[in-house]
Amino acid sequence: MMKNKKSLRRDIVLILCLLTAGLLICLTVWLFSGKGGTVVVRVGGTVVGEYSLYETRTLTLQGTGGTNLLRIQNGQAWIEDADCPDGLCIRTGKISRQGQSIICLPHQLVVEVQGVTSGNEIDINVK
Amino acid sequence: MKKIRGLMILTAILFLTGGCSGAIQSEDDSEAYRELFAMDTVMSVRAWGDQAEAAVEEAAAEIHHLDTLLSVGNPSGEVGQINRNGSGTLSEDVRLLTERSLALWEETDGAFDITVYPLMQLWGFTGDHPAVPQEDAIRETVQLCGSDKLIFQDGILTLGKGQGIDFGGIAKGYAGDRIMTILQQHGVDSAVISLGGNVQCLGRKTDGSLWRCGITDPDHPQESDRFLGIIQTEDRAVVTSGGYERFFQEDGKTYHHIMNIRTGYPAETGLRSVTIISSEGLLADGLSTACFVMGETDAVAFWRQHRSAFDMILLTEDDRLLVTAGIGNDFSSERPFTVISD
Repeated sequence: MMKNKKSLRRDIVLILCLLTAGLLICLTVWLFSGKGGTVVVRVGGTVVGEYSLYETRTLTLQGTGGTNLLRIQNGQAWIEDADCPDGLCIRTGKISRQGQSIICLPHQLVVEVQGVTSGNEIDINVK
Repeated sequence: MKKIRGLMILTAILFLTGGCSGAIQSEDDSEAYRELFAMDTVMSVRAWGDQAEAAVEEAAAEIHHLDTLLSVGNPSGEVGQINRNGSGTLSEDVRLLTERSLALWEETDGAFDITVYPLMQLWGFTGDHPAVPQEDAIRETVQLCGSDKLIFQDGILTLGKGQGIDFGGIAKGYAGDRIMTILQQHGVDSAVISLGGNVQCLGRKTDGSLWRCGITDPDHPQESDRFLGIIQTEDRAVVTSGGYERFFQEDGKTYHHIMNIRTGYPAETGLRSVTIISSEGLLADGLSTACFVMGETDAVAFWRQHRSAFDMILLTEDDRLLVTAGIGNDFSSERPFTVISD
């Protein structure tokens, strides 16, 4: 009987450990899916890079026929400088929300924010 | 005792693995995605199905084909050649577009007109440096415009003196329809495309719910979570025309790219944005321009005559939001809006 009680206690400890581990894994997955904001860079439709929206970076992007200087800081991304003729990508300003993008047509460059959850999500934007 | 112990451990393991499965999406169909640059804009095609990859590949090829054919800036393309030579024998695609354009021109009482091209050139909207032209130049150019001066006979299109055509008002809509056909031929039953902001969706989402299309708010065109409203739909094209899309400023005044062919100036009819919802991309595209040019009163009257063919969302200069009855239940907005019925 004594032996049985001891083994039952061990079982409970084991189960509790498993439950805790399960909770921890779920929590991690939930946290990462919630705040996993990334900046996806595509040139001519091909993904050339993915960067965290929360890590500060300055990147020189090689577009089609020119370059754009991308800055990522404090959950925002923007084009700081570019040698395209219209400079529209610079004037677009800072992006930080799900689905927002900076487009440089001359360089066939698209910089898009993905994986940021908001309450008002859509599948596609009509412009 | 051993049984209970085993059961408890099993439960814990099930909880451990099952609790996380929600984060892993199940995929019945394979997804294919393409982003491409054509028709002076960026386009995306997203489709689900066993043959989605091949379908999307063919859709991209069709877009490039139509771009070459219809581009006014490509002198060797079909439209470029017609504009240079003053006439031409039409291919299947251009013949269909010409017929539909002439029908739209008639139905909209000239609000939609492909002969707008010389005006677009005069204002510089075909190049990088638009500017306000001289007044007498505008008057002269207006005289050149008008689809009544086009002759379309036995598959040959002949332009009037000094005329030029531009399918820019329906090209993306037509491309959308062509893509829908191609996707369906490959067994795709769920897809969503954006051709420079012209949206068209096929079927419903793979989870069975409707597509949520967020319509850009002219006051916040860059903000992706502030919309004029959200339309939930399936098997529809959703196309918006607005003066905020392409414009320039001169002497403190804003000039946009949607021309009134009668005045030769950008259409100023008290509307800021017009969104058309229709099962056909070509119609949605053409009517978004036409209804913008018509203005609120005429656009609403036009809808009443053709209410089975399309629905629309209007935003006026004085910030009233109007939605036609057919989509009254599928539209939501943080702004107050009025539903137009008969």
